[in-house]
Amino acid sequence: MKVMKKAKVEKVIEALAKEHDVYVPIQRGAQTGFFSYRTYNEDYDDIMLDTLNVYQPPKSIVFPQTEKMYGFKSEGQKINIDQVFEESEPKIIFGLRSCDLKAIDYLDELFFTKSYEDEFYRARRKSTVMIVNACYNPGTSCFCDSMGVSPNEPENADVLIHDIGEGDFAWEAKSDKGEAVTELIKDLLEEQEATLPTLKNFKRKVDYEGVAEKLKDMFDHPMWEDMSYPCHNCGICTYMCPTCYCFDIQVKTAGEEGYRFRCWDSCMYREYSQMAGGHNPRELDKERFRNRFLHKLQFFQERYGEPLCTGCGRCIVVCPAGVSIIKVIEKVKEADV
Amino acid sequence: MAECNCENPLVPSMVEVVDIKDETPDVKTFYVRSENGGVPFNVMPGQLAMVSHVPVGEGMFSVSWQEENDHLQFAIKSVGLLTEQLHNIDIGQMIGVRGPYGNGFPVEECKGKDMLFIGGGIGLAPLRSFIKYCFKYREDYGKITIIYGSRSYADLCFKDELFEKWPAMKDTEVFVTIDNEEENWSGHVGFVPSYLQEINPDPQGLIAVTCGPPIMIKFVLQALEKMGFTDEQVITTLEARMKCGIGKCGRCNIGSEYICLDGPVFNLAQLKKLPPEW
Ligand SMILES: Cc1cc2nc3c(=O)[nH]c(=O)nc-3n(C[C@H](O)[C@H](O)[C@H](O)COP(=O)(O)OP(=O)(O)OC[C@H]3O[C@@H](n4cnc5c(N)ncnc54)[C@H](O)[C@@H]3O)c2cc1C
Ligand code: SF4
Ligand code: FES
Repeated sequence: MKVMKKAKVEKVIEALAKEHDVYVPIQRGAQTGFFSYRTYNEDYDDIMLDTLNVYQPPKSIVFPQTEKMYGFKSEGQKINIDQVFEESEPKIIFGLRSCDLKAIDYLDELFFTKSYEDEFYRARRKSTVMIVNACYNPGTSCFCDSMGVSPNEPENADVLIHDIGEGDFAWEAKSDKGEAVTELIKDLLEEQEATLPTLKNFKRKVDYEGVAEKLKDMFDHPMWEDMSYPCHNCGICTYMCPTCYCFDIQVKTAGEEGYRFRCWDSCMYREYSQMAGGHNPRELDKERFRNRFLHKLQFFQERYGEPLCTGCGRCIVVCPAGVSIIKVIEKVKEADV
Repeated sequence: MAECNCENPLVPSMVEVVDIKDETPDVKTFYVRSENGGVPFNVMPGQLAMVSHVPVGEGMFSVSWQEENDHLQFAIKSVGLLTEQLHNIDIGQMIGVRGPYGNGFPVEECKGKDMLFIGGGIGLAPLRSFIKYCFKYREDYGKITIIYGSRSYADLCFKDELFEKWPAMKDTEVFVTIDNEEENWSGHVGFVPSYLQEINPDPQGLIAVTCGPPIMIKFVLQALEKMGFTDEQVITTLEARMKCGIGKCGRCNIGSEYICLDGPVFNLAQLKKLPPEW
């Protein structure tokens, strides 16, 4: 088996970074997230291949928080769209986990299927190579296997790496893109015997079976009132979630020029669905709370055949009000309808 | 960086405003044509387009009519930032359009039926595309009844069609109402739903299509149900805040349906299966 020795990890990243913008899980001050290796500062940053999930998921690499769409120039009554910003620089996400890869599979479903295809997303997504770090020891807030994710044998990885102890990683190319990047660093890998670890038990189990179906009859259930009571509708869950994708489209104009851009939005905010004339289909905090969970657990399932949650546990950890998607699922299971 | 390619569904095509017509104090109809002539795309009645005054903003509007391969018409009410700026432009201005979006009215399924159109305020804009389609293919549709109301006489849209062209069409009746008494108005006074009940059309062989402010739609639907219309005989169009128009940005959902893609046109049977969030 090919093995990337601990001492070679940074060399591998450096070698890949010659032709790619490589995003690596990094601890930077109080933040953890996937940062471009171009911004790596060895005095301050720690590369975290042994951490399960960094706080900020890698979603923004294929679907940035703010993304320019097109630029325009006006001249009197004439307006010309003179640039379309489809960004396709080769990129690698190095060391993402299965749950975050699954989240990107869901973005693929959204942006590539059901009528129109999103060209801005396509340009970034097709130019990105996924080097996935298999999980064998699930964390305390992880429940990905309950949501249909395989932590150590993900589908759609380009390269799969496995921590085989002592900081060494077994390296398996899984796709043509994976073979191509492996070729770039083949001299840094060693051929040796390696046994892959065995997957440890999940500490947290969630029973999602039948939840989408049951929710069809729970739109008016009193549990939404109770569960949403502590929620501030702050939106942090939607920003930290690797699968949340709602976006806004806005324009920036200075004088005769400008550009239109899109940026993440949150279904937790009133403005999200506020209409001209004051009507809002989800005026109440409770209604927006309910829509978020129904979207994840019922609506996305109905439309795309899978739940819009990978069980990464981030929203539970970051919520200042203690709202938990696990508790929501449990309440649905318990509820009388 | 790519050259401007209009294959990208979120990038508009530029069109020229070739005419602007004042409908009411706050509604204007914009006639738009591609720079090299013709329409930027073909639309069916009830379909939508995202219209942008490019440096200002984008908004979703029903295409109120496609005149052959010549131009598209949008009737736009001034309610906020984008629409006020649109009202300030002059003929010759380039604006952006992308589309067509949405399912449109079931024009095929309605063939051979009598048609009842019930509109309020700017809600006549989408209905008009279907009404004019019925007149264009007049022999395909039965009797046409149009009930329309606005707050005042001045607020009635498309007056020349409403008072002259449409009543003169074969086998067509047009009923117009305004909310309050006015000097020089000898027509009906009262809200659309109650006028509908007075007219009391027989549901036999009739398809009702309604569009207007949410509160009007609500009472019209109740009235139609009382008169004995089945859920399949009642069609309405829904609105939601929209950004992408292509089922991606998330905000226009009701349940697992997106109004921009699966709507905006639904019959009552379909609506009753969805959560009551409209
Ligand atoms: C399917 C559909 C068909 C429509 N057809 C027509 C039509 O034929 N004619 C017409 O005049 N109007 C139509 N509208 C409404 C039109 O989209 C809004 O009036 C317009 O976008 C408001 O933009 P604004 O910038 O002027 O208002 P803003 O300055 O943005 O704000 C005014 C208010 O409108 C809300 N708003 C902003 N954007 C939208 C939006 N896209 N949809 C709803 N509310 C919004 C704001 O939250 C605010 O409350 C339609 C809307 C939909 C969804
Ligand atoms: S656990 Fe929370 S943050 Fe993670 S995928 Fe599910 S909803 Fe999103
Ligand atoms: S407008 Fe974006 S999903 Fe409908």
